[in-house]
Amino acid sequence: MGLLEPLLKISPLTLAAVLVFSPALFGVVVFAVRTKWSRKGVVTVAGWVLTLAAITVFAIAFVSRTALSATLPAKAAPWSMIVAGGDLALLAAILVIAVRFRSAMVFGVALVQLAVVLYAELTGGHAAEAAPSVFIDWLSVVMVMIVSVIGSIIAVYGLPYMKEHERHLGIDEAGSHRPGFFLTMLVFLGAMNGLVISDDLRWVFFFWEVTTLCSFLLIRHDGTDLANTNALRALWMNTLGGVGFAVAIVLFGAHAHTYSVQALLRSPMGAAASLPILAALACLMFAAFTKSAQMPFHSWLLGAMVAPTPVSALLHSSTMVKAGVYLLMRFAPAFHGTQLSNVLAIAGGFTFVATAFLAIGQTNAKKILAYSTISNLGLIIACTGLNRPLALAAAVMLLIFHALSKGLLFMACGVVEHGIHSRDIEDMQGLVNRMPLTTLIMVIGILSMLLPPFGVLIAKLAAIEASVHLPLAMGMLVIGSTLTVAFWTKWTGRLLASEPGAVHPKIEHLHVMYFVPLVLLTVGAVAFSLAVFPLLTELVEPAVTQYYALVPGAAGGVDLSTDVLAVPWLLVFGVMATAVLAPVLVARTRPDEEVGAYMCGEQIETPNGSGFITVAEQSCSLSIRGHYFERYVGEDRHTLWMSLVAASLIAGMFGSVAVR
Amino acid sequence: MMAEYLTALAAVLAAPFLGGILMGLDRVVSARLQSRQGPPLVQPFYDILKLFAKRRMAANTFQMISVSVYLASMVLSLALLVMGQDLLVLLFILALGNIMLILGGFSVKSPYSQLGSQREVIVLLAYEPLLVCMVVGTYILTGSFSAASVFGLERPLALSMPAFVITQTLVMAMKLHKSPFDVSASHHAHQELVRGIYTEFSGPQMAVIELAHLYELVLLLGFIVLFWHTNLVVGIVLALACHAAVIVLDNVSARMTTRWMFGFTWSVGLALAAANLAALYATGPLPR
Amino acid sequence: MGLIDIARSKSPWILHFDAGACNGCDIEILACLTPVYDVERFGIINIGNPKHADVLLVTGTVNKRSARVLRNLYDQMPDPKAVVAIGACALSGGVFHECYNVLGGVDSVLPVDVYVPGCAPKPEAIIEGVVMALGKMQEREHARKRGAA
Ligand code: SF4
Repeated sequence: MGLLEPLLKISPLTLAAVLVFSPALFGVVVFAVRTKWSRKGVVTVAGWVLTLAAITVFAIAFVSRTALSATLPAKAAPWSMIVAGGDLALLAAILVIAVRFRSAMVFGVALVQLAVVLYAELTGGHAAEAAPSVFIDWLSVVMVMIVSVIGSIIAVYGLPYMKEHERHLGIDEAGSHRPGFFLTMLVFLGAMNGLVISDDLRWVFFFWEVTTLCSFLLIRHDGTDLANTNALRALWMNTLGGVGFAVAIVLFGAHAHTYSVQALLRSPMGAAASLPILAALACLMFAAFTKSAQMPFHSWLLGAMVAPTPVSALLHSSTMVKAGVYLLMRFAPAFHGTQLSNVLAIAGGFTFVATAFLAIGQTNAKKILAYSTISNLGLIIACTGLNRPLALAAAVMLLIFHALSKGLLFMACGVVEHGIHSRDIEDMQGLVNRMPLTTLIMVIGILSMLLPPFGVLIAKLAAIEASVHLPLAMGMLVIGSTLTVAFWTKWTGRLLASEPGAVHPKIEHLHVMYFVPLVLLTVGAVAFSLAVFPLLTELVEPAVTQYYALVPGAAGGVDLSTDVLAVPWLLVFGVMATAVLAPVLVARTRPDEEVGAYMCGEQIETPNGSGFITVAEQSCSLSIRGHYFERYVGEDRHTLWMSLVAASLIAGMFGSVAVR
Repeated sequence: MMAEYLTALAAVLAAPFLGGILMGLDRVVSARLQSRQGPPLVQPFYDILKLFAKRRMAANTFQMISVSVYLASMVLSLALLVMGQDLLVLLFILALGNIMLILGGFSVKSPYSQLGSQREVIVLLAYEPLLVCMVVGTYILTGSFSAASVFGLERPLALSMPAFVITQTLVMAMKLHKSPFDVSASHHAHQELVRGIYTEFSGPQMAVIELAHLYELVLLLGFIVLFWHTNLVVGIVLALACHAAVIVLDNVSARMTTRWMFGFTWSVGLALAAANLAALYATGPLPR
Repeated sequence: MGLIDIARSKSPWILHFDAGACNGCDIEILACLTPVYDVERFGIINIGNPKHADVLLVTGTVNKRSARVLRNLYDQMPDPKAVVAIGACALSGGVFHECYNVLGGVDSVLPVDVYVPGCAPKPEAIIEGVVMALGKMQEREHARKRGAA
């Protein structure tokens, strides 16, 4: 304790400045000083600075046990002007992009947003000065840790990846787009930090729009036609979400007379909220749905996979899509006990099931990961909609574990893609013989998304337990979890399908900047699952408790002791670890002899691996493919109606406000 | 706490013997239904011992990991059931074992085991929702997911959840690879995929799988005993009756296709489950 | 006799391979499975997969085409294992002996433990052959153990 005492003296504002601005500053250095070594050095240092800052935030929160908050003096600067100027500048940038790429859609949506923002500026004059105020509670701490630590790891991984990427595209060092790339990436991280620690909604909105713009830049990074199209789709969808956010701000300003999130949460909310306030909450949900790529807006995240892998890893695991669910979790007490909350749970649950279903038919690894991300975000949203302490705890746990596993899987996919020049899981067949180390990491990543005793599953079970009071949502969670098994199992099956005889493959060489991030996240995914209890009591429970302090009538502390968490998970872990390690370590269980597959005695070796002899003494090499049930689960058959259902569920959210 | 662990340990040690006898009974009854005499009652033990003593032949090391996790998950599930732990967790630990076995089947580039694994994925998808729905049913009645809480009920589950006795029997038939659900491998010697998912597991690996099957059988029957917890004798009779039903079903039906099986469980099975759950929601003591 | 020995003698799983028979012998093998003979009484199962099998039953003559397959199947059976040749053809080539493509009996490819003569042998003879093969398999295994020790 004593050692940590000086930490408490650090002002939250200083920390906030480091978290938000240091990445951008480092980014500018990377952009300005264009040498290979400076880039490597600066990005790595930026990663360290961010990580250390995040750990400091965590340590302070841990020692002080209260939320940190601070506000800059209102008189110090014309804050409202600054933030409004920022918003308008961003919109101007979006409009310029719309003109440059001749996108009527982006242009139209941006104009609408411009109108709303201007209206807010003109009518919101009575509100207080938008002095930057910081509010860091446990939820923010969790988010800051995810953004800063995992985000930094991904940025470092991006260094060798982008080098190789540009070599493939034939871009030399002089024409390299990497300085801009890392600038955007770092600004992105800073904006995410800003988003999760700001208390004033106007600032949250500003950072929200910065992430929209950054994600556009990152998705279109390769500049191909496809990249442009997909980036523009991401841009208009997220700008549309921004419209929702701006409308919410207008409504809050007019009817709650404050923009401070904490003040809002303390004003009459939930069942006591007035109609415009509930409408504002529904607008925020809409914004969150676009950002978190929920159906029917999921297409932007699917399209985003054209971007280089570090971008996907960043968008999917630690930034961007997490902003949407963060917003919902932040406002969960505000819609506690309303019909709106229930519809939200159903809408999230629907995306969870629908995208898990669609993932079964995919062979593109990145697409499977994308669907799985959308699905898990749907689950988190369903949890916020269920709006009970256990559900919120599940949501926080999912946030953490999903970020770890998904970041890991995307990065591993990137390594594989550079190794075999394909992202098709059929081409990954028998990868265990070609890239055993990466395969091992990938398999651990997949299993950590899927199986007990890993964290994602524990959280999923907690979510199911929390959902029994809403049968429809429960049905969705049960079926969604079942469907999830299908695509992960089939993918892992492809990875492991090995040629007998090639059982002692050579371990491939990985660039150290691939190896370290991958290993860090693998260890993280396993260690956090092992430490699920400390994590729960030290991180998740405080987050949920402070949360429910805001819900009227539920303030008497939070009891997370449920049956799922009462299971002796360490015993489970121990038994499973023994079961996995015993065959590897105990000589008596290792095979005496290795034999090929049974093929009715007709097996032979062919130049393409094992094969068999068929009619007329012809030799034929064996080729095996997975079955993807395209006839039943094909995207083109189901996306349309699913999107319509999802859209009507969103309409239902607004409807539930009207009829409550 | 200690007593709980000791009971679990005792159950884990006793289960293979119980399971072996039941499995032997299964074979004898099946033989009698086919007007044969059938093997001795202890035949499963002979088979397992013999398999253990065979030379360790394998296609890769992962196969051994897969079967050992499979066994561990069965043992652990049984222990958790006896300890009265969370049933939902138990189901997923059970699923963990099945998934590892499927991966073991996938891990060899062999036409038969690949197809078997592929089909086993669908079998898993087919029965998993039924199992989870059953557990949800107990939650509605008890307000808790723990197996222990079932013992607090006054009315046997079978009376409030009759449809789930049927679905559990179906699940048992699927999990034991009995006709008409023996699509991924047959409980009996062989079918069109040779031994399906088991084709490439030989010797001791197969022995581990067979041993795990004994645990699985005891576990599945244990679930059914739970349906009449008020009088364990009735519970055991109920469980044996369900087992007998599975055996008879096995002998009077032919193997159907994977698609049929999936359609059947997700329509008829889930409809049964949903109807029963709806009735429970309407009447059950779920705190609102 | 140890527990393992008992288990081995009570649970012989069979792989049946037709190397080129007239099908007469095959039918007699199938007859063993019927209720009349019911070999499952002795724990015998027709397993159909070399990786699970203990005893290889071969019927018919070995020809140029089937020799390789026979060898492959035998190699995929884990030790301890035994081979039983069934019927005149499997013993020596039988009526097909002089054919252009015939190599001879099973012992031209594999070490045969038990020869069951007949054209075709009776089911009782086949069952007895399997039992004898088990004895030889046990002996061999014991000898191997002693040699190793
Ligand atoms: S021994 Fe006789 S019955 Fe048997 S395969 Fe030869 S010819 Fe046919």
